[in-house]
Amino acid sequence: MSEDDQTGSGKTKRGETKPGETKPGETGPGETGPDETKPGKTKTIKVDYLARVEGEGAMFLKIHGGKLEDVKLKIFEPPRFFEGLLRGRKFSEAPDITARICGICPVAYQMSAVHAMENAFGVTVDGPLRDLRRLLYCGEWIASHTLHIYMLHAPDFLGYASAVHMAKDFPKEVERGLQLKKTGGEIMAFVGGREIHPVNVRVGGFYKVPTKREMFDLQAKIEKARDAARETVNWVATFDFPEFEQDYTFVSMQHPDEYPMNEGRVVSNKGLDIDASDYDDYFEEIHVEHSNALHCVMKENKQSYHVGPMARYALNFDRLPAEIQTLAKKVGLGKVCNNPFKSILVRSIEVLYACEEALRIIENYEMPDQPFVEMQVKAASGYAVTEAPRGILYHRYEVDEKGDILDADIIPPTSQNQKMIEDDLWKLVPQYLDQSDDVLQWHAEQAIRNYDPCISCATHFLKLDVERT
Amino acid sequence: MSAKILIIGIGNRFRGDDALGCVLADQIKTLEAPGVEVLTHSGEPASLIDLWQSRDCVILVDAVSSLALAGTVHYIDLHEHGLPDQFRSYSTHAFGIAEAIELARVLEKLPPKIVFYGIEGKSFAATETLSPEIILAMEDTKKRIEQDIKETSHA
Repeated sequence: MSEDDQTGSGKTKRGETKPGETKPGETGPGETGPDETKPGKTKTIKVDYLARVEGEGAMFLKIHGGKLEDVKLKIFEPPRFFEGLLRGRKFSEAPDITARICGICPVAYQMSAVHAMENAFGVTVDGPLRDLRRLLYCGEWIASHTLHIYMLHAPDFLGYASAVHMAKDFPKEVERGLQLKKTGGEIMAFVGGREIHPVNVRVGGFYKVPTKREMFDLQAKIEKARDAARETVNWVATFDFPEFEQDYTFVSMQHPDEYPMNEGRVVSNKGLDIDASDYDDYFEEIHVEHSNALHCVMKENKQSYHVGPMARYALNFDRLPAEIQTLAKKVGLGKVCNNPFKSILVRSIEVLYACEEALRIIENYEMPDQPFVEMQVKAASGYAVTEAPRGILYHRYEVDEKGDILDADIIPPTSQNQKMIEDDLWKLVPQYLDQSDDVLQWHAEQAIRNYDPCISCATHFLKLDVERT
Repeated sequence: MSAKILIIGIGNRFRGDDALGCVLADQIKTLEAPGVEVLTHSGEPASLIDLWQSRDCVILVDAVSSLALAGTVHYIDLHEHGLPDQFRSYSTHAFGIAEAIELARVLEKLPPKIVFYGIEGKSFAATETLSPEIILAMEDTKKRIEQDIKETSHA
């Protein structure tokens, strides 16, 4: 690729991108079949490699006689068998092994792993150790959400093929995004030992905890990040959002006193209210032929459900600080947001919240006497749900009396949203059938990115059973 | 004050030849050349771009997989060319080093000299062992980087 190709010829506006001419790493190569406007003719739109999502996936739309006949979000990144890898390993290894599932949201895997193990052994971690975990999670929310807002999703709204193209016209904003993401990473490195796959997390707490004094530098950086986060909310609010209000079943955690991250019950806007240990009774994984990631549905009706920032926001709006609630209203968000294209705005609100929460934790922090809580290992099952940036992340473990893992089950948010994304496409695509393939493809890809899907996470978990005779 | 020459080794130490950037960085660090800072890095774009500021010369070293012969050394002056397409597929994550380079170019944050040494890997399996072809290529690359350091220091 030439330099010109990479830095781009400037904007690629909606409708100007020709299928098949787009560049890897920017927008995926598309293919279209014959014109569907003639009765009885079938047209397919295939995006063989979805750009600006984490991992490798594809989209398939089949249109026949002017009607949408098939929608498939294909996840072809190979399965990674992490649950198999965990069997036979020590309980204490779960946070470090599962952190390797994702380079973007390793903290989420660590948090669900440690909470599930502590649940198995009947241990509660509270006080400053609990706060430090929350601080670590704030870092991940800031870094992950900001990456998605600025580098992956904003180009859709502003009509650019990539963040690199967008940076030509929006250099100040892109730099702001880079700095904000960097601060999130610095929080992760500060608490977790390093940004990618942190090494300081252990069941019961941490290997090492910071002193109050060590937090001062970080505090100053987060104060700047908070300003940047506020500017982000106001910037994103200026985007043009397609009208697409849906009646979702939102599922998230809910805690009596705080916006949820590590702890709480699993609730929905349709009456669900359960403990993490009951997750398997209410949700079900289904294998579909076109995906290496399992689809998730509600057991009672086999329907999709929506996890992530919009679900958290809808079910926990009143747990946000008053100032953030006011800002959310000012930028046009109600207490509930049902338009997935506005998820980018909700994500920006959560970045601001994570900055505020990180500062609150730092201000109140007192170094604990011990970096972790001791525990008695026993044969047991443990369950946990925590709020990864993309939504609820469920872990279940069965360990023996020595603490060896006998069985593990991990259900990441992207697999839970996979059917939801397809359902959105079923409703969205018909609105654009009379428009060009380019426009149709653009909107469909944007709709997938509404969920910030992390395909690398979702494919780790195809079941593998080995029969030995 | 930041050292004027920065050498960054990129890679995963636990994935076979992908470790070469980190291992080569370790080797160059032992030279203790004045005015030279040597780091290993995850590839996070914002901190990478930050690190490049106030430097005269940045040298990036990474493993690549582009179907060339194992041990082939690809040298790219990043002011003249971006990273080729075939070097981009090594990461399943959507935003990495190639994007950091292009963003820095657009934002006019590339240092005066920035070059990329990509060594064609042979195996990216989960081991801590480098392939023999790679070890030879690294020796050659190390000499070239030492020459780069000399030329930049005397410029």
